[in-house]
Amino acid sequence: MAEPLRKKTTQMTERLEVSPAVAVVEEIGRSIARKASVAGRATLLFVDACSYMSQAGRSLPVLIRQVEISGFGSLMVLSLIAGLTGMIMAVQTGTALKDFGMVNQLGAIIGATFCREMGPIWAAVIVLARVGASMAAEIGTMVVNEEVDALRSMSINPVRYLVMPRILALIIAMPILTAVADWVGMFGGAIISNITFNVSISQFMASAQQGLVGMDFFSGLFKSVVFACIIGTIACDRGLNTTDGAEGVGKSTTDSVVLNIVFVLLADLIMTTFVQLWLN
Amino acid sequence: MANPGSATHYSKEKLEAAAPLAPVPAGKEPLIKIRDLHKRFGSRHILRGINLDVYKGETLVILGGSGSGKTTLIRHLMGMLRSDEGAVTVGDLNLNSASAADMETYRKRMGVVFQGAALLNSLTVLENVGLPLVEVDHMPAGEVRKRVIESLRKVYLPAEEILNLKPASLSGGMRKRVGIARAIIQEPEIILYDEPTTGLDPVTVNGVNELTLELQRTLGVTSLVITHDLDAAFKIADRVAMLYLGRIIAVGPKEEIRENRHPVLQQLLTGSTHGPLTEAYLQPTKGT
Repeated sequence: MAEPLRKKTTQMTERLEVSPAVAVVEEIGRSIARKASVAGRATLLFVDACSYMSQAGRSLPVLIRQVEISGFGSLMVLSLIAGLTGMIMAVQTGTALKDFGMVNQLGAIIGATFCREMGPIWAAVIVLARVGASMAAEIGTMVVNEEVDALRSMSINPVRYLVMPRILALIIAMPILTAVADWVGMFGGAIISNITFNVSISQFMASAQQGLVGMDFFSGLFKSVVFACIIGTIACDRGLNTTDGAEGVGKSTTDSVVLNIVFVLLADLIMTTFVQLWLN
Repeated sequence: MANPGSATHYSKEKLEAAAPLAPVPAGKEPLIKIRDLHKRFGSRHILRGINLDVYKGETLVILGGSGSGKTTLIRHLMGMLRSDEGAVTVGDLNLNSASAADMETYRKRMGVVFQGAALLNSLTVLENVGLPLVEVDHMPAGEVRKRVIESLRKVYLPAEEILNLKPASLSGGMRKRVGIARAIIQEPEIILYDEPTTGLDPVTVNGVNELTLELQRTLGVTSLVITHDLDAAFKIADRVAMLYLGRIIAVGPKEEIRENRHPVLQQLLTGSTHGPLTEAYLQPTKGT
């Protein structure tokens, strides 16, 4: 009885090993395992970085420089994108609402969409692409050039000196960027609503004020802080784990952007579900 | 007739055999003791039982071809790697079991000169050289500036002129000197040099060698230099050790090493492309 069963199991295993479907599932499994491993290591790095937050005063010059790079450096491009998105949303939503005679609701819809989702997500996307990638490349190059080893040889902890100020700078800059994206997005929507659908800017803003609750705005700001932690931690983790010279720096930079997009959206899904369930 | 120093007279075991640990000469005191040091990275056995003493105040040069384990060895001395077996002891401190606080104290006693100087590109020369004083010793800015200028002058750099320059504005030789200035700013007892003359022109190489000799004379430091630059090695060394496939196969005063007939040393000294060194590199699973 046991022998035929063993034979059948072996045959099944052999079939499974050559099946392309299994290979695909295996690859997906491996990819998830890799991402889970990055998430685990990044969590440890984040906890380590947090343990040095009380010493932020010692890293004030680095912190100020990082806030400048991540905050002011991203402001123009984020404003442009948020403004354009607000305009596009106004055209698309306004066209649909016009048929129902509800264009005066544009402010509430665009306002809520920006404060809850578009503002924090656009800020995160711009920061992870612009600042996160640059952090991973900068730290990766430092690893390749033995600068991180030099820090360790001088008893300077790279997590305290390099990682903590970068994460903290993003925590400071991201809510500001998100608030700017919210306002510029709504303003872009208001202009197009005025030009295309004859909704005055004051009507638009009144509608937005009526439709929005404080929770919409603050949940967006809270999300932006969580995104800042994710972006800073993953970017620094990728940078610190760079190997294989210049090619490795390129790989770390790409990995940083890809992983950050995945984890930011995943975190957004979890937070949005939680907030919506809580609100309702 | 075969050359008595040729590899054909040596079995593989004899070729790779570790040199016995020499008795400590009278008047010398070992500061760094490396005993039966083993290190593996996955299936690769990089260090295969290193035994070596570094005497207080001497300059010991470790020679070795690419992939012989030089960098792995120096990283153990920097306290960045822990051995799989064996021990590295500096004074009374076993680096394998040292606490974080002990390592911090040890690193203050040690300066490292990296191959590419390893200066932080975003910082000025003043910030680079003064970094350990600011970050570790928490020294006030005025004192840091004074100490940085002193340190830059010790390595013959025009301190005031370059203080506010970024490393990218300096020549390779100047960067290396700034790296040395950073390594000596905390007045270390030990200086580790990782390929200090690689990639420099001959004049700058001579400059760096003379500087190494002078620092040993004036500061009385114990220096351990990892290199494959023979001229530099024989110029600055008190003793020379030869690392081959993760083992010290010869160690002694530089005059003795020059006369040593070991085929690996002979190949390195003559620069021949045929011999055990080149054969070892063709074996991918051995040594890095």
